[in-house]
Amino acid sequence: MDHTDVYLLRETYNQKGILLCFNGPFSQALIEEIGNALRNYMESEAASSSSTRDVFAAYIEIAQNIRQYAALKGYNEAEASATVVIGREGERYVIAAGNVVEPDDGLALIERVNRLASLDKGQLRAQYKERLRTPRDPDATTAGLGLIDIARKASAPLSCSLRPVNAGQRMFFSLRVVL
Amino acid sequence: METLTIPPTQSSPAIVADGERGVIEMRGDSYPENSYAFFEPLVAWFQAYLAETDLPLRLELHLLYLNTSSVKIMMDLLDALEDAHQTGREVAVKWFYDAENERIAELANEFKEDCSFPFDILAVEADARP
Repeated sequence: MDHTDVYLLRETYNQKGILLCFNGPFSQALIEEIGNALRNYMESEAASSSSTRDVFAAYIEIAQNIRQYAALKGYNEAEASATVVIGREGERYVIAAGNVVEPDDGLALIERVNRLASLDKGQLRAQYKERLRTPRDPDATTAGLGLIDIARKASAPLSCSLRPVNAGQRMFFSLRVVL
Repeated sequence: METLTIPPTQSSPAIVADGERGVIEMRGDSYPENSYAFFEPLVAWFQAYLAETDLPLRLELHLLYLNTSSVKIMMDLLDALEDAHQTGREVAVKWFYDAENERIAELANEFKEDCSFPFDILAVEADARP
């Protein structure tokens, strides 16, 4: 990559209102540091306290989901690499995040996200409460609440996509959240 | 019972479980990498305190942000407090929040819906962030 490419990247970020972009394997320490940077950045932009908290919360859920999924699958660093972009669109903040998944998991995720996208706030609240009451799987490290929580905080229905990578052996799942 | 003290980190709260005073205090953010592992010592202390004593228990919470797996653990603790309350045990929650942190107040109110024991949600003006 030469200097022109860096300039072009910067121009693209500026044009698209991208505040922060991460591309690589997540660790808990990185998740925390990027989260800090995000909070500071939004505070310096005079974002409202509630939108800073919503963007931070959605970012943490997404990043921890991606990291735990990669750990569960025993992915190596390249496979565990994720892309997270946080930007502004007018008055709204957008988080777009993508990671490599197994094809079956990808299809199940698409179905789950689309189902959540079709629910109104009252239905999402009911789902959240129901899920909160479900006894957890002793082997699970997540509560299975993350996506519902993100959908509840979002100001527009979640959207997602899936495309084949590695000659179709894996899929790249991407999620877009408007807050 | 012996006092349990867990120092805070960037992503996990400071916890003090004091059997003499019958108070569990939690302070800070809660989004550890593995919430179940992180809270395990507290859950064990909490269960032993309820099982081995009949003393009152109060939760004093100064939490700023909880990820969903921390929310789940908090719900389990509150459910156990509710069960203890139903058997006549003196239990209570005091949830302190920074007045400008509406989101945590909303979460505290959702927790409160399922509790019939005294559950106070109290706004404090100063930023509670350590």
